[in-house]
Amino acid sequence: MKIMCLIRQVPDAEARVKTANGTVDLQGSSMALDGMDEYGVEQALRMSEGGAGTVAVAVGPQRFEDAIRRTLAMGLERAIHIETDLVLDVVTTSRLLKAIALEEQPDLIFVGGQHADTDSQAMGAALSEALGWNLVTWTTELTLEGQHVTAVHDVDDGKETVELELPCVVTTQQGLNEPRYPTLPNIMKSKKKELLKKSLNDYGISSTMVRVVNQEIQQRARLQHIIDGKDAAAAAEQLIVLLHTEAKVI
Amino acid sequence: MFDYFKTLETLTSDERDIHALVREFVDAEIIPNVQGWWDEGTLPRALISRMGELGLLGSTTPEQYGGAGVSSTAYGLICYELERGDSGVRSSASVQGSLVMYPIYAYGSEAQKQKYLPELASGSLVGCFGLTESDGGSDPAAMRTRAVRDGDGYVLNGSKMWITNSPIADIAVVWAKLETDGVDVIRGFIVPRDAAGFSTPKLTHKMSLRASVTGEIVLEDVRVGADALLPGSGGLKSPLGCLTQARYGIAWGAIGALEAVYTGSLEYTKTRTTFGKPIASRQLVQDKLTWMATQHTLGLLMARQLGLHKDAGTMHYAQVSMAKRNNVRVALQGARLARELHGGNGITTEYPIIRHMLNLETVDTYEGTHDIHTLIVGRDLTGLNALE
Repeated sequence: MKIMCLIRQVPDAEARVKTANGTVDLQGSSMALDGMDEYGVEQALRMSEGGAGTVAVAVGPQRFEDAIRRTLAMGLERAIHIETDLVLDVVTTSRLLKAIALEEQPDLIFVGGQHADTDSQAMGAALSEALGWNLVTWTTELTLEGQHVTAVHDVDDGKETVELELPCVVTTQQGLNEPRYPTLPNIMKSKKKELLKKSLNDYGISSTMVRVVNQEIQQRARLQHIIDGKDAAAAAEQLIVLLHTEAKVI
Repeated sequence: MFDYFKTLETLTSDERDIHALVREFVDAEIIPNVQGWWDEGTLPRALISRMGELGLLGSTTPEQYGGAGVSSTAYGLICYELERGDSGVRSSASVQGSLVMYPIYAYGSEAQKQKYLPELASGSLVGCFGLTESDGGSDPAAMRTRAVRDGDGYVLNGSKMWITNSPIADIAVVWAKLETDGVDVIRGFIVPRDAAGFSTPKLTHKMSLRASVTGEIVLEDVRVGADALLPGSGGLKSPLGCLTQARYGIAWGAIGALEAVYTGSLEYTKTRTTFGKPIASRQLVQDKLTWMATQHTLGLLMARQLGLHKDAGTMHYAQVSMAKRNNVRVALQGARLARELHGGNGITTEYPIIRHMLNLETVDTYEGTHDIHTLIVGRDLTGLNALE
């Protein structure tokens, strides 16, 4: 059984994001393995014997290495990092990943159900399309018997159980499992695991179909009007006036 | 993390990763729950197993004995983060690692190491350390607990006081006087929970370290085999060697608690408004915040340098005394300032401040009181002993 886990590094949802010059300052922000991808890593570890046959694949800048090391510390066997500062569109990425999948010959590929930063859900579908493999999205339960996969996934009005054959692409989400913490011994061992560095050129890719033109931070204007609450009755009166005349909600 | 001088940038990559992991663990599993444990006066047994699973117990122990084999600096960072959560949680981990696993590793036989260390590292066994007696913790040489040879084993009698983890411990490392060639020598013994005559009454009514279980150890004609004796132990220097390990961890841990009360105060004073302005805009408040931030920085730098010495094998116990003495006291003073800055909210356990403050009162006293460490450093500086 060979399992490939596609992983990304995103701003840490638990930390404050820094902004500079009207955009998110990724250099100064705390970054983490995308939580949606982490479910796939955990599932790969549970479906393999001590991580044997598992590989993490990441496409992104040098800083992604921290997230990759995290998956190795969790227990994946090795990793491939296609290092690039280009922001790739999903179709180009799927072509690249198809080439890697053909080299690696995994039986199963885990992809996070949704990117924590861009909210895109397209990657899993695009990769399954590129490979011509079966796909199940938003998976919350997964069992494997031989070549036969049974998966439960969320649909708008409940849950659906689907059956499909390997090889396949599975997109993961909360509820699939409880990802483990790396242990101290595994953190130490992860430094010695194989992390293969590749470039886009190795796969004949030199451009992307999308270009980031501009980024803006969504502003929510606040009046910052604080009512002194020492005199509760007067404060309540003032609040009612403001809600009526300024906010116009009552 | 609050790291004003970017001290963490000087760590190795392993140390940085270990620190990040423990911080994440403390944020996710300790901080959201610890106030409830503290209010109830309990420490879940499962938390010790959880720390064991991650490799946080006795983490410097070599891998062949079930440890993670990390550097002493990494161990210090673990203590920092655990104590940022709660001093009691850190105490439980310190006892297991520095006061139970360390003496077995340093003074134990190969068979004892094989038998106990892997299970202590995984948290499937909990240990405690019996040195202090009720007559006075600062003078352990005056202990009354005795071991007497009995056939090929020993019989232990005496009692120990203020023992972290004792009510939940599966084994106790007990220090007792054993007459050897007409002279009393302090030796260490591993006493199992099921030994007849061994009991561990729990101490109640504590107003500090409530998320940590404390008790006595009572030894009434407790018979143990010859294999209970730690063969490498001999003299007061053996238990003191353990205390140096634990105090080293406390020097880091207290600064973690100081971070918690400082960052809590910073957030609180920036959002708390009086006379139309956040109180953090007031000079008297900024003075307190600046003092706390400065002491955190100094304490962290001292702990970092102490860790470099420990990893290089050049650490001196008087340096440990200086760091424990200073870092705990500034953390305690910082917690008191934080209490003041939080006003009425500083006395409720809705906020973490009073819990840290009360915890640190104990940390200032145990593992060598502030005054005892003053005299240890004083003796080292002057060559004159005020401790006799």
